[in-house]
Amino acid sequence: MSRITEHPILGVKEEKKLVSFTFDGKDLQGYEGEPIAIALKANGVMIHRYTKKEHKPRGLFCAIGRCTDCVMVVDGEPNIRTCVTPLKEGMTVQTQDGVKAM
Amino acid sequence: MDRYEVIVVGAGPSGLSAAIEAAKRGLNVIVFDENDKPGGQLFKQIHKFFGSKEHHAKIRGFHIGEELLAEAAEVGVEVVLGATVIGLYSDKEVSVRIGEEIKHYKGDTVIVATGAAENMVTFPGWTLPGVIGAGAAQTMMNIHGIQPGKKILMLGSGNVGLVVSFQLLQAGCEVVALVDAAPKIGGYGVHAAKVARCGVPFYLSHTIKEAHGTDQLTGVTINEVDEKFRPIEGTEKYFEVDTICMAVGLSPMSQLLKMAGCEMEDNPKRGGQVPIVDEYGETSVSGVFAAGDVSGIEEASSAMIEGKMAGVCVCGYLGYITDEEKDAELLKLEKDLESLRQGMFAPKNRGKLIEKTEEGIDISMNLLKKGYVADDEIERFPGVVHKVGVHPVMECTQNIPCNPCQDACSKGCISIGNNITCLPFIKEDSNCINCGMCVASCSGQAIFLVDEDCGDGTATVTLPYEFLPLPEVGDKGYGLSRNGEKICDAEIVSVKSVKAFDHTNLVTMKVPKEYAMKARFFKCS
Amino acid sequence: MSVIDRSVDIGGFVPQPDDDMLICRCEEITKGEIRKAVHAGMWTMTEIRRYLRTGMGLCQGQTCSRLVKGIVARELGVSPAELEPATARSPMRPTEMKVLGKEVS
Repeated sequence: MSRITEHPILGVKEEKKLVSFTFDGKDLQGYEGEPIAIALKANGVMIHRYTKKEHKPRGLFCAIGRCTDCVMVVDGEPNIRTCVTPLKEGMTVQTQDGVKAM
Repeated sequence: MDRYEVIVVGAGPSGLSAAIEAAKRGLNVIVFDENDKPGGQLFKQIHKFFGSKEHHAKIRGFHIGEELLAEAAEVGVEVVLGATVIGLYSDKEVSVRIGEEIKHYKGDTVIVATGAAENMVTFPGWTLPGVIGAGAAQTMMNIHGIQPGKKILMLGSGNVGLVVSFQLLQAGCEVVALVDAAPKIGGYGVHAAKVARCGVPFYLSHTIKEAHGTDQLTGVTINEVDEKFRPIEGTEKYFEVDTICMAVGLSPMSQLLKMAGCEMEDNPKRGGQVPIVDEYGETSVSGVFAAGDVSGIEEASSAMIEGKMAGVCVCGYLGYITDEEKDAELLKLEKDLESLRQGMFAPKNRGKLIEKTEEGIDISMNLLKKGYVADDEIERFPGVVHKVGVHPVMECTQNIPCNPCQDACSKGCISIGNNITCLPFIKEDSNCINCGMCVASCSGQAIFLVDEDCGDGTATVTLPYEFLPLPEVGDKGYGLSRNGEKICDAEIVSVKSVKAFDHTNLVTMKVPKEYAMKARFFKCS
Repeated sequence: MSVIDRSVDIGGFVPQPDDDMLICRCEEITKGEIRKAVHAGMWTMTEIRRYLRTGMGLCQGQTCSRLVKGIVARELGVSPAELEPATARSPMRPTEMKVLGKEVS
């Protein structure tokens, strides 16, 4: 999904520092401090996890840390709400399958 | 355990307003918020607010947020972010998760301003990635600067659905349809009209039958429903979309108050489970107050006033102001709140079918069903008049508490009469100087400057324009009707963007004169 | 708040076409399961929660509690407003045990 480079009301977003992270082993980039989920979305990633019982895909839903649908395994820790967890250089992000990494 | 005179839960519009009132009178106040930024939903609101000057009318939500934060800092309000209140007890003890620890605080008073959570509806496929809440869309585009999707279907025609649809268009997304199971649009007509004139089709009495896709959303089928909301066979319509936004109402997040033992009620007019409060927000537990959406779903403008009331009340409760001072303050605030709670969309009118304006004019049925006032309906409203030369045409057709247009005109051309909800009209002997302040000041983007006859068979229409790219003088394209259809050729003859307009650009297009009262938007060819 | 009258006959469970609709997104509980639970005698929101775990997952009922309430109310033939919501207790938000155990004063 595209980033909004210039907005009619909000103007041009200030330049933030690009950092690298891995998603399921792939090298991706995002802006430092933005939610992990936003960086993933900018890279076209929609599926954050598969559910435990039905093995169904889930992604961003509320984007404010409430619904917990966007949880993933981050730096080895499962159930991390990616929509409210800031991206840092070198993070390891993995699609969650039930409560573990895929 | 630390002790504070006032503990506020939630740093949104009402929580911050409450904290400011208390702190500026010398109370020591702490505000907890689970988010990493203060301001609640205000920073996602990029539209201009309704109301009057006292309600921050014509100021954009995020600017109001900035003002509140500055004021809070100035009076020494302590805001702790990333602080999740996980428990509230009847003796006004609060448990808060901060980082990896649980801390306990004791308040002499507690103000709960936790706001609301989004409602959801279910349909096959509603758990697919790509189906999101309208709040999520706002967060993505207005906070994090990313498009929620490319092709989007909006479910819900309340103010949230309408406002977010417009914001999606501003973010460069395509809104393929606006759908609501109700037979009539729930939000302000002016919000609907500015979406409709961009060409977004409205499907009232329609609901989502199914969202399609295996790994993520690829499309959606909607169908018409009858008056009992049962699907009508054979009315299915398919849209290719990557995103469905749900804007189907809010519920108060009142669990903390219930936990504290406050008397609660389920009140559909207030949006669900709410505490039983007195007129200033005090709950049945002495010293525990509720303010904002948590005690009844309304707008941010009323949440701020309720917050102020709670803030003033705790000052009285703890003896920082006298009863007389308290009553005087509350009287003022009550007046502000009362003026917001008037008109067709007032809480007391929720669910009522209103067929006439306060002036006795028939409401536009087309507006309620399709999102725009039809050509044969528009002439009956008092703001729509014909004059020689440039003059404002105010397509304001519902009684909403809002009056910036009246204040905007330095020539005094515009009046809304004696009540803030009245429809604006042009004064008889007025003299429009084509300054455009009224166009830019109308939060509903319902005012146009029209010269119906320039003498050469053309007319000019000046319209508010909040999109990119901004047209340039000489650009040729089409004049769009109120429902976004191309109806005539149009050429841009003037583009004005001054600071006072606050990003509402004034674009003037020249159209054949028979379209002067029909063309309301511009599209480049 | 009305007290549930357990002597009312709500009839037996009748399958509906959308019984496989997922309601609780976290615990993956369907509409049919919730309706069956009502017919198994779970008439209050707290009972439903304990019986099925609806609203007991990661989001703690933030998303589904209103939906579950609506389904239970319809099954009982009452308005949702007549149903007492489930007990509210600390921790209000999902909190890891290691954090809950780290109280400081």
